[in-house]
Amino acid sequence: MKDLLSILTQLGTGFLTTIILFCLTLIFSIPLGLLVAKGRMSKNIVIRSVVRFYISIMRGTPLMLQLLLVYFGPFYLFGIKLRDLGIGKIDYRDIAAVIGFSINYAAYFGEIFRSGIQSMPKGQYEAAAVLGFSKSQTYFRIILPQVIKRVLPAVTNEVITLVKDTSLAYSIAVVEMFTVAKQISAAQTSVLALFVAGAFYYLFNFIVEIIMNGIEKKMSYYQ
Amino acid sequence: MSVLEMKDIHKSFGSLEVLKGIDLNVDKGEVVAIIGPSGGGKTTLLRCATTLETIDKGQIKIGDDELVTTVNDKAVYCSKKMLQDFRSKFGLVFQGFNLFPHFSVRRNITEALIHVHKKPAAEADKICDNLLSKMGMLDKADAYPCNLSGGQQQRVGIARALATNPEIIFFDEPTSALDPELTAGILKVIRELAEEKMTMVIVTHEMSFARDVADRIVFMEGGVIVEQGPAKELINNPKNDRTKEFLAGY
Ligand SMILES: Nc1ncnc2c1ncn2[C@@H]1O[C@H](COP(=O)(O)OP(=O)(O)OP(=O)(O)O)[C@@H](O)[C@H]1O
Ligand SMILES: [Mg+2]
Repeated sequence: MKDLLSILTQLGTGFLTTIILFCLTLIFSIPLGLLVAKGRMSKNIVIRSVVRFYISIMRGTPLMLQLLLVYFGPFYLFGIKLRDLGIGKIDYRDIAAVIGFSINYAAYFGEIFRSGIQSMPKGQYEAAAVLGFSKSQTYFRIILPQVIKRVLPAVTNEVITLVKDTSLAYSIAVVEMFTVAKQISAAQTSVLALFVAGAFYYLFNFIVEIIMNGIEKKMSYYQ
Repeated sequence: MSVLEMKDIHKSFGSLEVLKGIDLNVDKGEVVAIIGPSGGGKTTLLRCATTLETIDKGQIKIGDDELVTTVNDKAVYCSKKMLQDFRSKFGLVFQGFNLFPHFSVRRNITEALIHVHKKPAAEADKICDNLLSKMGMLDKADAYPCNLSGGQQQRVGIARALATNPEIIFFDEPTSALDPELTAGILKVIRELAEEKMTMVIVTHEMSFARDVADRIVFMEGGVIVEQGPAKELINNPKNDRTKEFLAGY
């Protein structure tokens, strides 16, 4: 019982890091994903090809490898001391984790958004054009709200995966929940901490699912 | 006075020439029906007039606003700013309605009034209420398109096109996506608009409706206007052999 309590308090700080990493990744990768989708559909062949290449790299290589590259890259490629890359009290490894996750998830979100945008019937654009809506009005008032509804199930999948993927941050020694759980479990030579961590991830996703279902329900007022 | 002027319209898709020099003028208050066999270019002509398709050569004007003219045998379009103005001069009713599914009936009608024409919400609501009551749909103002019948959706489509008070309304087969029993209701709405002297161009396969409601009928085939004339005369006494053949099918 005392063990469990100490595990919970120790995991608590790691859990907080996990939540922050999760939230920041969503905050950056979703708008970035919209840009990726736009770039992927660009009329400019250079932009389109660059974005396509970026997506294929992000999806075709391990996320852990990408995290390592973002973290160690500046040192090995440019000889920059990683200590100098931190911002104030924030360690560069935390920043690298956010960057790594964000650019990886932006690629996945980008593809989801693109398929959502491309699934919109041409008639919606035409009706909007004829009524005099500008391009940006059409996008933000007519297209995007409908695309959000269409992509929501796929986005929910990605978000749930992200909850679990945050544990990969241990590979660059970010002190998130999984890292802490492994340390405790090694120190106590017991798997209890890992079980508790597992329960945390499960609970986290349970809440994510409730929230996403709520949003989905809210948008079910039309077909 | 002409509301719509289309002169020598040429339009190709790749190597397929779909419009081969169409001239069409529509006077204020006039109702013109366009009929003709499938693939004749009726939809394409309407799409060119409503900016959804660009022409290769010719001239299009609504009132004093020139959408496109031809210089050195090439179509030259007006500026983006003028295009926006031009779009407020006409309304278009689609065959497949194309309502905005995420907006209520009211918002479908008022959104452009408020955000394009910068009308106060109260005024937009009033315009919307007027149109809906005319269509017998006032009780559906807060419904969403997915909960309406096809006939009701098309009424909203017509109300949306009328809301901005356009000088001319185009219809592309407004009833062909509807069950026969719903068709009559929409035709009645259009008939009432004709009685109010709304300027309209209607592509339709409803010959008796065209004869009764239109002032003039245009028969199009193979990208040209084969024959046109006063509605009753053209239906009852077609001169061209192709027109005769086409009408014999009805
Ligand atoms: N976007 C396009 N790309 C290529 N060809 C097209 C396109 N739109 C129309 N066409 C072709 O242009 C021709 C005229 O088509 P259009 O839709 O204008 O005919 P229509 O008179 O409206 O026929 P219907 O009575 O069947 O509606 C057809 O051969 C059609 O296949
Ligand atoms: Mg057609």
